[in-house]
Amino acid sequence: MRILLVEDTRDVGEAIIGRLSRIGHAVDWEVDGAAGMEVLSRTSYDLVILDVMLPGLDGFSLLAQLRARGSTTPVLILTARSRVEDRVDALDIGADDYLVKPFDFRELEARVRALIRRNGGEATNLLRCGDISIDRLTRMVRVGDCEVHLKRRELTLLEILSSRPGRVFGKDELLDRMFGHDEAPGPNAVELYIGRLRRKIEGARAQIVTVRGFGYQMVIDGPA
Amino acid sequence: MARREPSLFVRLFALMSLVLVFGAAVLMTAAWYSARQAADEAYDRLLLGAAYQIADAIQVQEGEPEIALPVSAFELLALSDRDRIFYRVLDPAGRTMTGYESLADPAAAEASPDKALVENATFDGEVVRVARVSRRFDDPQMRGDAVVIVAQTVEARQALARDLTFRSFILVGVMGAIAIGGTIFAVRRALAPISRLEAAIRQRDPLDLTLVSVSTPRELAPFVAEINGFIERLRARVELMQQFIADAAHQLRTPLAALEGQVDLLANDQVTPEGRKHLDRIRVRTGQLSRLANQLLSHAMVAHRERAVAGSPVDLAELTRRALDDAIPDTLERDILVTLHAPPAPLIVSGDPVNLAEAIKNIVDNALRHGAPSRITVRLSRRQDMAVVEVEDDGPGIAPAQWARVVQRFGAPSADGKGSGLGLSITAEVAAAHGGGLSFVAKGAVGFVVVLSLAIQGREFA
Repeated sequence: MRILLVEDTRDVGEAIIGRLSRIGHAVDWEVDGAAGMEVLSRTSYDLVILDVMLPGLDGFSLLAQLRARGSTTPVLILTARSRVEDRVDALDIGADDYLVKPFDFRELEARVRALIRRNGGEATNLLRCGDISIDRLTRMVRVGDCEVHLKRRELTLLEILSSRPGRVFGKDELLDRMFGHDEAPGPNAVELYIGRLRRKIEGARAQIVTVRGFGYQMVIDGPA
Repeated sequence: MARREPSLFVRLFALMSLVLVFGAAVLMTAAWYSARQAADEAYDRLLLGAAYQIADAIQVQEGEPEIALPVSAFELLALSDRDRIFYRVLDPAGRTMTGYESLADPAAAEASPDKALVENATFDGEVVRVARVSRRFDDPQMRGDAVVIVAQTVEARQALARDLTFRSFILVGVMGAIAIGGTIFAVRRALAPISRLEAAIRQRDPLDLTLVSVSTPRELAPFVAEINGFIERLRARVELMQQFIADAAHQLRTPLAALEGQVDLLANDQVTPEGRKHLDRIRVRTGQLSRLANQLLSHAMVAHRERAVAGSPVDLAELTRRALDDAIPDTLERDILVTLHAPPAPLIVSGDPVNLAEAIKNIVDNALRHGAPSRITVRLSRRQDMAVVEVEDDGPGIAPAQWARVVQRFGAPSADGKGSGLGLSITAEVAAAHGGGLSFVAKGAVGFVVVLSLAIQGREFA
């Protein structure tokens, strides 16, 4: 995947590129906001990682211009600012996610993976399955009248299973869709996530059923 | 502490009233004097007239004075029906022709026997007004001055004087009432700009740092200028503080991010087992440093915003959702079931969204760090005019003995260095600024609830 990084701090940039190239992404790097905007108008990227305090053009303005042009490229904001004066949230002006510096680089990696996968292009943001509803945009999952906080990978799994209730998904297919090629999930990764997910949607009028020898399916309970 | 001064209105009103009362007293005294004088003049004229008529009635018959008292003279005096009249007529030789012998001639001792006068005297134990006139006879049989003395008690003239005085008093009283009414009106009108200024200052939001722009008379201008000067200095302070926190945030976070990045790069290189051990320590310490810096900055930001940011309507469910997203890292290895139970209707509180999010984040972060092996349940509810956020986890919680300390700044830094001791104190501070509080409930061996309550209208009273 092609990623544009706009970051003016040299060693932070280096470390991000180090981390992301290791998992197989091609990262272009700009240190100036205006130059970043210039590159974005010529080239299309799968993800933009944007610092806020930049020479030339600050990250928020760059994001606003990008969205004004109609671009839907996912943007991850990195900010070192305190919200002492900010009245706007990065999410409110069109960022898809944000991280406050200093951050754990494993967390950055997890967010990048989730953002790239999300852009896979689903038509609707809201997915319903029994009394489970999933808002892809806000990553909000509701079971009955209670909201459940899911980690990004669990959410992906739930989205896959809920998109076609009744269909049996094989273990290999799930592995493929949950993990990138560069990741080496353990042999029990799917079982682990299925287990976690089952616990989190316990009590819903839909459940994950194991089809022995084939895989897993989402089954919606009929009216009692 | 300054002594409490009487109000300007009371002062002005009291002083004006004092002047008015004094003026009224002077006027009334003057009115009484002139009334008495007017009454005297009127009655004296009658008295003298009567005396002259009597004097005219004296005739000389064969060398002897004779008198036939004219009825008209007494009719004149009888106009005042309650007064008594005394008279005495003396012939030029000084013999009493008729009347009261004992009625003394007021001018007896004087050199000029032809004098006409009116004066006060007492007769028969009563206060009387006495008129004395003389008539000169130049008859060859009788020469000299005949004297007529007429006295009258003073009841009627006193009644007239009283009547005139009373009328004057009524006039002075009416004038006084008009003057006092006018004074109240004038003082109120004159003090109106002070009330306007007071209202303008009282109605200001304490967080409003714009200048006072009430039009005031010249006398109040220095006060407004002083207030505005103070506001300007405060605003400069606030801006300086804000700039300082913003700079500190950027200046601290950027190198920390770089440090984390470099450690991350190094961790993926070939490192000797010994080197790996040190690298892990650096990683842990860098993490701690980052967390401490974040909490200190968060604390400064929360304290600053508390005094500088006005409240706005905040949807607590949406805010809690985002706070949970922020507080729970995706890379957390423990599998924790995090659920949020919110009432169906939006729970709107008046507050600062950034500070409230920070408060909730800190509770969740604390639960993740110190408890919660497998479950965190967040419940939002409304209790009367309070919104309540309950964060329950299935960990051991905080020992009751520590409850008072964890809400104090650096009150209870954890021994393992994981906590800075700031987290819950920030939450408690935000709660207090929003008219609420922070409390704890222990649910036996497992289960601990942190209860954050916020006044629905919290920030408006701040």
